[in-house]
Amino acid sequence: MRPGTASPGVLRTTWLTLFSHYRRHPGQLAMLLLGLWVASALWSGVQAINASARDSYARAETLFSASLDSVTRRDNQPLSLVTYLSLRRAGEPVSPLVEGDLTLSDGTSLRVIGIDPLTLPGESGLARQQSDAASLRDWILPPHRARIAPENADAARADSRLPPLEADPSLPPGTLVTDIGVAQRLLGVETLSRLVVAPEQSLALPPTLVRQSAAALASPGQLTDSFHLNLTAMGLLALIVGLFIVHAALGLALEQRLGMLRTLRALGVPGHTLIIAMALELLLIGLLGAVLGIVSGVVLARLLLPDVAASLDALYDTDVASHLSLPWYYWLGGLAVTLGGLFSAGFGMLWRAARLDILALGKAQAWRARLHRQLRLQAGAGTVLLGVALWLGWRLDHQPNPQELALGFAMVAALLLGASLWLPPLLAGSLGLLSRRLRSHPRLQWALADLQLQLPRLQLPMMALLLALSANLGVGSMVGGFRLTFLDWLDQRLLADMYVRPPEAQYTDVAAWLEGQDEVQALLEARHAEAPRLDAEGQTTGRTLALFGITPAPIMRQSWPLLDTATGHEAAWQALDAGDGAFINEQLAHRDGLAPGDPLHLRSPQGPVMLTVAAIYPDYGNPRGEAVLSASHLTEKFAATPGSLGVVLRPGSRDVAGLQAALRERFGLGGDAVVDQGAVKRTATEIFERTFAITQALNALTLAVAGLALLTTLLAQAGARRAQLAPLWALGVSRRQLIGLQLGQLVSAATGTAVLAIPLGIGLAWALVAVINVAAFGWRLPLHIFPSQIAMTIVLAIFVAALATLLPAWRLWRVPPRQLLQEFAAI
Amino acid sequence: MLQLTNLTKTYPTPQGPLHVLDGVDLQLAPGESLALMGESGSGKSTLLHLAAGLDTPDRGDVIFEGQSIASLSEPRRAELRRQRLGLVFQQFHLVPSLSVADNLTLQARLAGREDTDWAQYLLARLGLAGLNDRYPEQLSGGQQQRLAIGRALAAKPRLLLADEPTGNLDEAAADQVLDLLRELIEESRCALLMVTHSARVATPLDRCLHLQRGRLAEADP
Repeated sequence: MRPGTASPGVLRTTWLTLFSHYRRHPGQLAMLLLGLWVASALWSGVQAINASARDSYARAETLFSASLDSVTRRDNQPLSLVTYLSLRRAGEPVSPLVEGDLTLSDGTSLRVIGIDPLTLPGESGLARQQSDAASLRDWILPPHRARIAPENADAARADSRLPPLEADPSLPPGTLVTDIGVAQRLLGVETLSRLVVAPEQSLALPPTLVRQSAAALASPGQLTDSFHLNLTAMGLLALIVGLFIVHAALGLALEQRLGMLRTLRALGVPGHTLIIAMALELLLIGLLGAVLGIVSGVVLARLLLPDVAASLDALYDTDVASHLSLPWYYWLGGLAVTLGGLFSAGFGMLWRAARLDILALGKAQAWRARLHRQLRLQAGAGTVLLGVALWLGWRLDHQPNPQELALGFAMVAALLLGASLWLPPLLAGSLGLLSRRLRSHPRLQWALADLQLQLPRLQLPMMALLLALSANLGVGSMVGGFRLTFLDWLDQRLLADMYVRPPEAQYTDVAAWLEGQDEVQALLEARHAEAPRLDAEGQTTGRTLALFGITPAPIMRQSWPLLDTATGHEAAWQALDAGDGAFINEQLAHRDGLAPGDPLHLRSPQGPVMLTVAAIYPDYGNPRGEAVLSASHLTEKFAATPGSLGVVLRPGSRDVAGLQAALRERFGLGGDAVVDQGAVKRTATEIFERTFAITQALNALTLAVAGLALLTTLLAQAGARRAQLAPLWALGVSRRQLIGLQLGQLVSAATGTAVLAIPLGIGLAWALVAVINVAAFGWRLPLHIFPSQIAMTIVLAIFVAALATLLPAWRLWRVPPRQLLQEFAAI
Repeated sequence: MLQLTNLTKTYPTPQGPLHVLDGVDLQLAPGESLALMGESGSGKSTLLHLAAGLDTPDRGDVIFEGQSIASLSEPRRAELRRQRLGLVFQQFHLVPSLSVADNLTLQARLAGREDTDWAQYLLARLGLAGLNDRYPEQLSGGQQQRLAIGRALAAKPRLLLADEPTGNLDEAAADQVLDLLRELIEESRCALLMVTHSARVATPLDRCLHLQRGRLAEADP
């Protein structure tokens, strides 16, 4: 051993001595572990959900989107075997595919995909496992074989209709792949759903068929990125709030152990040995907290995942497994984030302990003397961060940027961190000012001066409370505003009292019959089509655009919301009616930088078509860009297939049920073919509520964590506080008054925090609706401020502070006078 | 055993440099006990901190058993304190989260030479037998100071440095602690350098020096 190097025995004794502090103060250890646990659990839970969803997307993408182009009939009807054979005879390298849903005997729904392994392009995920002759023989000859997602293997094996099964982890959940003949038998069809072809192959197709490029399809991963990013942001907020607790606990433990550190140094423990022992202590606590947190995170994710999967299915039509599938790096990542967070929170403690002069080590007063310098530094750093947030906000509002979402989150982070850094200087300033003005009220003056003394310990939980309150207000305003706008928009868009979706063969008859009914005021026809986008020179861009046909009836013109037009509302509708104008949704306008008056080049079956953007309309909840034409022109130019018929009833004859019954009786329309407006609105509202349920749950949890931070800080310093309160008690202030003073101190500090949280929450709401939402989803929401939510923010702050004071106050109430006397004598 | 040569220490203050020690020379023989007296702020504690290697002089040297402490690195100074010195403070500086028994053996364990029999003997001699599992806050002031002395002696140091060891005690408790300290010093054949402002405390020791305006003078105890 080198001279002067401490032996392992010194390290061990030092470590045990340091840790003995937590044996005597288990509350502080619990506070540390609680902070780590909460931070790690919420973060890990969110990451577990994201990892599972991404695994499902990756499997879906491997299977289809990234690899094969599709060929379908222009009218979206199934393809016949004859069409396929004629293409093959003409030398076109297409392969048939059958898709459909099959309900198993236990009620599980499976997506059955039938393929022809002999013609399927070799690089596709579907073809991968039939590469050798033996497996190909098993596949195409009876009793055949099928591959199934492992999640559904057990349920499927119990179903006698299915061929022998192999579990295939590369398949998306709920998917079964088998030979095309088996699939047709299982689904009871003789037709083909579509044909597939390798993207590099060129095809000569008859005009009734259309090819859709794989690259033009947005993958589920791309579509849902914003959703997962929002979840990650909430998880990150919870992680930061949890780390605030950790930071507060470590600071408290350091302050209370300064004497011990000095003694150990004086007894011959080298400085570096002390730092190593403290780092080891952090590591041990970190590992324990991380394991607890990750395990709890997985449990939390298990509870939330079915709801998330349902939301993603409703919003983006993506299949996400409702059970967790966690890769190895998830566990390592959770451990790394927790330990990284702990060391970033503990770095300051190690740094200060390493730099402190041995002779000043025990002087707690030195820390307090630094408070003012620290407050000045915090205010300076806060000002810089707020400046950065303002600059980013201005830039994002004025200059669109491809990195908008990342910059938007950077702006939110700078705003929140900058404001929370300003909180302690503002509180200290207000306390100082009030304290000078209340000289004639000694008890109040003492309470304010005492609160200033507590500020170094209270500042972190107060900052956590500020973040949680402003997030609550900001996200609450955003969701509340979105709800108002969305419901209003639904009312404007869902004009018809009833929607009928008849089969194509009956479409004309149903429309004619409805038009002949006395109670029908108007029939709003809707159609769908897709068209390839062209550039200004008429060249293909490789992108397709969804087209939606509407009936520009007077009732539609009055209600359909428009955000922007080139030459006014009426002119826009005239252009649409005339067929040379199109409306585009906000998403398309934002992503492609289109404005009213700009040209929109498309390829129709008859050749290139140029339309003018007549107006931009809001289209909340739609992840894709879309254009609206009049239904008649869409049919004429783009061979659009019949969609739905919106039935507007005359005022006073609102017998929707009667008309539904007549349609069912006359045309045999049932199930989803006839729905009333109320049902559509209910479904849309349910999807909306479910989408934000998780955001709001995480938000409430973050607020609970901030409350816990405050409570644990108060409990951890309760002993020291009693020693400070004892002189006041000895001077004649009763315990009841002392409890009142403590409650008053915390409630005023929390109210001050809530007052700052109001502008911060409004700023956050603006950032969410005007920057993050635009970048993530492509639409901008109006900013709504709800006075009731502002009042709720203040009430919540007071409630959290009162709740956190309750337990320490109760303990103070139970302290016998004899003990207070001893504490007074010991000062 | 301990030799301080031309020891000088100056602290900067808003009013200009404050010369706390100004060329102090001092020698202490093995087994000798020396009292260092002086008014508050005379530099007594600074001298003790320099002798213990807790601080370094601006000029001069501290030589302990032929080794210059001032020239040692921080880890080597820590090792010296751990292995060969014992420190007793006016404020006791016991570890509040360790029991009486663990506090007593703390330095011995750090030095890697815990002697259970010696520790038990010390506990009995210090009047702390039966209090092994108590914590410092559950002891009286006199008991805490006796425990601090026990902690320093449990590691069998060659030199005990004590800073006002009875400053926080009443007269009776102080006498009791001092008698015990002297007896244990003799038993363990350890040298003692004690800082005090009390002539009554300094009288029984072998020698007494007076520190005034940063300089030493022989004093009549």
